[in-house]
Amino acid sequence: MSALLFLLTVGFSGPSTDVSATGMGFRMLQQPPVRLDSTYGCLACHADKRASFNQGVHSERGIKCVNCHGGDPTATVLPAAHRGQFVGSPDKVATVALCGSCHSDPNAMRQYGLPSGMVAEFQTSRHGILLLQRHDENAPTCIDCHDAHTILRPDDARSTVYPTNVPQTCGRCHEDQALMAPYGIPTDQVEKFTRSAHGIALLDKQNFAAPTCLGCHGSHSALPPATKELASVCSRCHVQVGREFEVGPHGQAARDGELAGCLGCHSNHDTEKVQATQIAVTCSKCHAPGTRAQTLGEAIQEDVIQAAQDLQAAAAAVAEVARAGRQTGDMEFRYQTARTAYLQINQVQHHLDADRLEELTRRVRSISRDLRATAEATAERNWEHKLWLVPVWFLTLSWVALSWLALRRMERAGTRP
Amino acid sequence: MSQPWTNMKSWLTQFAADLRASTDAGLLGLARYFGLLYGPIDASLPIDQALRKSLRYRLAPHVGWRHALGGIAYLLFLLMVVTGVLLVVYYRPSAQEAFPSIQHIVSGVTLGWLIRDVHVWSASLLVIVVLAHMARVFFAAAYRPPRETNWLIGVLLLVVVLAFGITGYLLAWDQSAYWTVTGALNAFEEIPLIGGLTVGLLRGDPIVSGATLSRFFAGHVVILPWFAMALLGFHFRLLRRHGVAPPSDHDTMTTSQGRLFFPNHLLRSFMVGILALAIVITLAILFPRPLGVQAQPGQVPVTILSTWVVVDVSRALVYYTGGWGFALFSLLGLLLAALPLFDRGTERDLRRRPAATAIGLAFFFGFFGLWVAGRGLRTAVLERPSIEVSIPDPTIQPPSPVDSVINDGGRP
Repeated sequence: MSALLFLLTVGFSGPSTDVSATGMGFRMLQQPPVRLDSTYGCLACHADKRASFNQGVHSERGIKCVNCHGGDPTATVLPAAHRGQFVGSPDKVATVALCGSCHSDPNAMRQYGLPSGMVAEFQTSRHGILLLQRHDENAPTCIDCHDAHTILRPDDARSTVYPTNVPQTCGRCHEDQALMAPYGIPTDQVEKFTRSAHGIALLDKQNFAAPTCLGCHGSHSALPPATKELASVCSRCHVQVGREFEVGPHGQAARDGELAGCLGCHSNHDTEKVQATQIAVTCSKCHAPGTRAQTLGEAIQEDVIQAAQDLQAAAAAVAEVARAGRQTGDMEFRYQTARTAYLQINQVQHHLDADRLEELTRRVRSISRDLRATAEATAERNWEHKLWLVPVWFLTLSWVALSWLALRRMERAGTRP
Repeated sequence: MSQPWTNMKSWLTQFAADLRASTDAGLLGLARYFGLLYGPIDASLPIDQALRKSLRYRLAPHVGWRHALGGIAYLLFLLMVVTGVLLVVYYRPSAQEAFPSIQHIVSGVTLGWLIRDVHVWSASLLVIVVLAHMARVFFAAAYRPPRETNWLIGVLLLVVVLAFGITGYLLAWDQSAYWTVTGALNAFEEIPLIGGLTVGLLRGDPIVSGATLSRFFAGHVVILPWFAMALLGFHFRLLRRHGVAPPSDHDTMTTSQGRLFFPNHLLRSFMVGILALAIVITLAILFPRPLGVQAQPGQVPVTILSTWVVVDVSRALVYYTGGWGFALFSLLGLLLAALPLFDRGTERDLRRRPAATAIGLAFFFGFFGLWVAGRGLRTAVLERPSIEVSIPDPTIQPPSPVDSVINDGGRP
């Protein structure tokens, strides 16, 4: 009887017990109403887990408290409820095994299309080595990145592993200086990432093709890429640049371990560009002045700046002609050709192939000159319009003058009485 | 060497002699000489008589250069008809094709640029000249009976001119035209009772769209010309019946003392007309209307260019005096138009009719002042763009300055 009364109270108190989670009103609107299973005993005491009981993938699949924690869900009072194979709160190492009991089973995961190698991957990761081999309690377990109870799909915007939430999730530990001090790793990665090209694309432009932390480090097998792996990691997305880099002299140097892959010229978390005017300076970090390599660097810098200026001039020419009212379809087509060559320059400079660079630069330049000439011809034609003023005013003034003379003559002759 | 010249001279002499030998006035003789008039028709219809009568017609002695304004307005109207017909040959009134067809007119059609800009400039000058014509009539108190009907027809003609301008404004179908018309229709919609209904009919869609363009095009080239021609016919008919109002100091008209219509008055008209034409062409060549960017209903531009005098004036009014200033100035215009209904006195000296003079001065000089002010605002930045966007480049996104673009192409 008392148990029934309790359940009624729980039922009427509404779903808003879990205020701590997020903006409650928002969640209530977003979620289907909480359906209380009055036969489920755990909720009699663990009222704060009711939201998790109803939300997320586990709830949808019928995975309830008992599946992970054991005990007797039919009981509503204490000694009885925590009887049976009661697990309680597993420690960090046990958590890995607990999650793995289902998630490492290919037969269980197949129906959901989920990978089953996550625990195996975790064991190879820095996190896994620290936790499982060295029993370092600072290392994260499954529930430090994923919520323990409310398991949301990765494409749910509230999930901790939703792409735009990943930097924050990693930053929870990796931005903590005290926590990171024993491992001697920096804590500014998230800050740098946020203002990098990757971070701007992901966070500001919501471009999910851009990498999160996981894009380069992996998720369950999280490790910083080794020096020799670097070029492979970057060229997963930067395919053409990677290909050019691999066949060039720097690619060989990277394979020999003499060059830190892409990091030889670029940086990692803030992914700094080498500006066109900084190419030669960047080369001089390794190559002494006057050497063949440094001279090549200066030549590349010259080509790239030249091509950028030519491309700009081409764009200005097209815009100018458009302003003058002419249709610019063919000009735009040629501009795209120039732009393609210009983009190829960005790739080819990673090969350090001066001949091809020069050829591409020449192509941009030639198209740019053509477009410039078209724009100038248009401007000239518009200027020639003004020449019409000469015959117009010559005829007007002479006709007015003749009329005036004729009028005066007629009036003198007495046509006007 | 002198053989062809002698031939031509003898031919010309013969021609002049034939012309002089014909009993009729020069023009008729010329028509008959070239076979344009055929003897029996000429004899049975009083064409001969009618033409001779109109050529021998004498104007009132007080008709001077200041009376040319109405004629110039008519000349500009005819110029708009001619250039408009030429434009409509190439213009395509659909949301997709309107702007490209104007690009084609400006860049691909022989003298298309000139025809279009003459049309645009005539539209502005027509409003100015019509108002100047009105001002002359107003200050001379020529709207008094028996000419009050003609004043009211003139006011209706002004309305038609404004309607031509408004409907023509959208046809350019660039960002400036599109958003000016959008703004104007939105403002008009605020008028109680009639606003919503009228704008609904004019716009034909929840926003300005291809449906609006079709309606405005139909109004501009099919509906309004009929009104214009009918009103013009009536205007001229009444002018011939009542004559040009005499100045205040002598009320009687003595037509026998006036200037001959042919050739004196015709020559004077020719001088004025050709000068007006040269001015229009000069303005069109020196200050062509920019083509702008094709209308984009989803993007409010940061700046809107005004290309018609009435838009300049409205903009200056709204910018400097707000919506109430605009309403009051419009009321002043309406008062001016309706004045002949109330002002039935005989006093014509400006100093002795201060109320009318004040209204006239305020409106006409206000209009010209606001035009000058509005031209300064031509590319005024919109006060509150509802969406924060800039006008995109018409064709492409040009690369940004050297340093920021160099490496942007590494990734697809």
